[in-house]
Amino acid sequence: MAERGGERGGERGGDRGGFGRGFGRGGRGDRGGRRGGRRGQRQEEEKWVPVTKLGRLVQEKKFATIEEIYLHSLPVKEHQIVEALVPGLKDEVMKITPVQKQTRAGQRTRFKAFVVVGDGNGHVGLGVKCAKEVATAIRGAIILAKLSIVPVRRGYWGNKIGQPHTVPCKVTGKCGSVTVRMVPAPRGSGIVAARVPKKVLQFAGIEDVFTSSRGSTKTLGNFVKATFDCLMKTYGFLTPEFWRETKFSKTPYQEFTDLLAKPTKGLMLEAPIETVEA
Amino acid sequence: MAEEVHLGLPGPWAADYREKADHYTTKIGGVPDWPTGDMGIKPEMLQCSLCGTKLCLVAQVYAPVVKLNIEERIIYVLVCPTPECGPRPQSWKVLRVQKCRNVEQTEGDGDELGQGTGPSSTSVPEEQIDKNKSHDINDDDFDLDALAEALEQAATLASNSKKKNKSKCANAPIERPVLKEKPADLSIPVLPCFYIYYDKEQYRVKGAVGSSSNEFPLDKEMTDTGNYEEEKWDGEKYEYDKAIGADRTFLKFKKRLDAYPEQCFRYSYGGKPLLAATKVQDAGTCRFCGSPRQYELQLMSPLLYFLHEAGKGSSNYGPSNWTWLTLIVYTCSKSCCPSSCGGRPCGCCWDVAEEEITIQEDEAV
Repeated sequence: MAERGGERGGERGGDRGGFGRGFGRGGRGDRGGRRGGRRGQRQEEEKWVPVTKLGRLVQEKKFATIEEIYLHSLPVKEHQIVEALVPGLKDEVMKITPVQKQTRAGQRTRFKAFVVVGDGNGHVGLGVKCAKEVATAIRGAIILAKLSIVPVRRGYWGNKIGQPHTVPCKVTGKCGSVTVRMVPAPRGSGIVAARVPKKVLQFAGIEDVFTSSRGSTKTLGNFVKATFDCLMKTYGFLTPEFWRETKFSKTPYQEFTDLLAKPTKGLMLEAPIETVEA
Repeated sequence: MAEEVHLGLPGPWAADYREKADHYTTKIGGVPDWPTGDMGIKPEMLQCSLCGTKLCLVAQVYAPVVKLNIEERIIYVLVCPTPECGPRPQSWKVLRVQKCRNVEQTEGDGDELGQGTGPSSTSVPEEQIDKNKSHDINDDDFDLDALAEALEQAATLASNSKKKNKSKCANAPIERPVLKEKPADLSIPVLPCFYIYYDKEQYRVKGAVGSSSNEFPLDKEMTDTGNYEEEKWDGEKYEYDKAIGADRTFLKFKKRLDAYPEQCFRYSYGGKPLLAATKVQDAGTCRFCGSPRQYELQLMSPLLYFLHEAGKGSSNYGPSNWTWLTLIVYTCSKSCCPSSCGGRPCGCCWDVAEEEITIQEDEAV
């Protein structure tokens, strides 16, 4: 018995993908089929093994859109979650700039990459990563950008006809000394902004907006972060549509736990039941 | 500077989750393979401290320590199978089972030694044959030279004391313990079982400064496409990684995990654990000898994922409720033997010591 285990371990010594494949085919009972299936199935290069509970739920397709995650303010810790839930995500490198540090042996140069990701329809993320090599910095920045995806609220300038095209109200964001103010604009104005924040606004899916900035906008790192901060605030602004009292619902962790769910008596707050007693 | 870390990667599933292996096998789930049939473990050590249910095995790791010359040493990680207890830290238990190394055994002589090592020598040849076979087959993948050394020493031991009476010893060949335990096994739930093979973690060492200069032409190309003179991007400094949902520690944890996405556990005797959160509890001291505890191994989230996948569809399944990111096991730094025959360490009995385990939870839940 032990050597059987050992032999099979030997065969699959280098084949780490083989173990994961077995799962795609179903449960414990299917032993013979599983062995055959493993050989037949195509090798997936990097199958995502989720680390967090949220990742496991997303992989089981318990979420339809990323909005359900935003509704419960769940922290997204794995970028594969975003890749799975937001289709049509595009990314672009805005800038790669070298940053230097003075050491005894001269200067140590690293590269800082700014990447913006978005689907052009209300979701945008910004990632900044420093690394010793450009490719590493870009890769890392894309992952961080996906982890920082936020929803962007759009509204109307005047008549509510057609789809929302501009910001719902005047909002302002700040980073360092740079403040960026976005003002609703009529349809057809286009994005009136400097080149760099314009890119972020395009990825967010805003069609018309007037912007005004203040501070040292030469520090474009801060400028682009201020724009992103401004976009984050669009959903933080309380408007009359939100005056109605929130009807709380179960968090996904409670909803998808069969065993520990207590019976609900009307409204229930979002505190999860199965917290670990420290 | 960095210590070697060995990763436990998933191997084949066991055909039957209750199948028995020997105590040299490293596996996840299944039934614990005690080295001898009757270990003399107190029943409350194998019971959940919260609800009293019999604990089931999560991981069994064969962990010899070369520096301290202990080759018969296994670590068992046990947990309460009931879904309510699973998430609570008190329902997890770690047992370290080892046979104390007697100094005189290295010389390989002496009558009292022969009788003392009698019980072990009967079991060793049979298990050793199995081990050697599997050792040859997964040669490149298998564990350290430590294991080879340990087996070699066990072999010399066996050959030296082979002439001693085998029939005298209390623990007869392997078959008897199996038959004795079979009825008891079916009563406790058992986690899905799969075997582990080892690999060394090859974490890419940070490149030298010179290598980044090759990237400069690429960089220039990227800036030239824009060709906007008024944009200077001045005053940029180094920035630490930041994301809305994850902090720096977790991002580093995830990066190491992504390098080997299927790692079930990390083993590094006396090394540093890979933390998922900065808050870490103090390990404390060994309750038998008072020496400080040190990190030895940690179980990782992919293990939970695999157990979860295997148990899908079955109700009342413990691992469905687990939400930990990593479980860190601390053991006595001297790897002490709590009991000893007649006051001095002997080579005949197996000692069982309970060690410390800390959970790092996914705090979003």
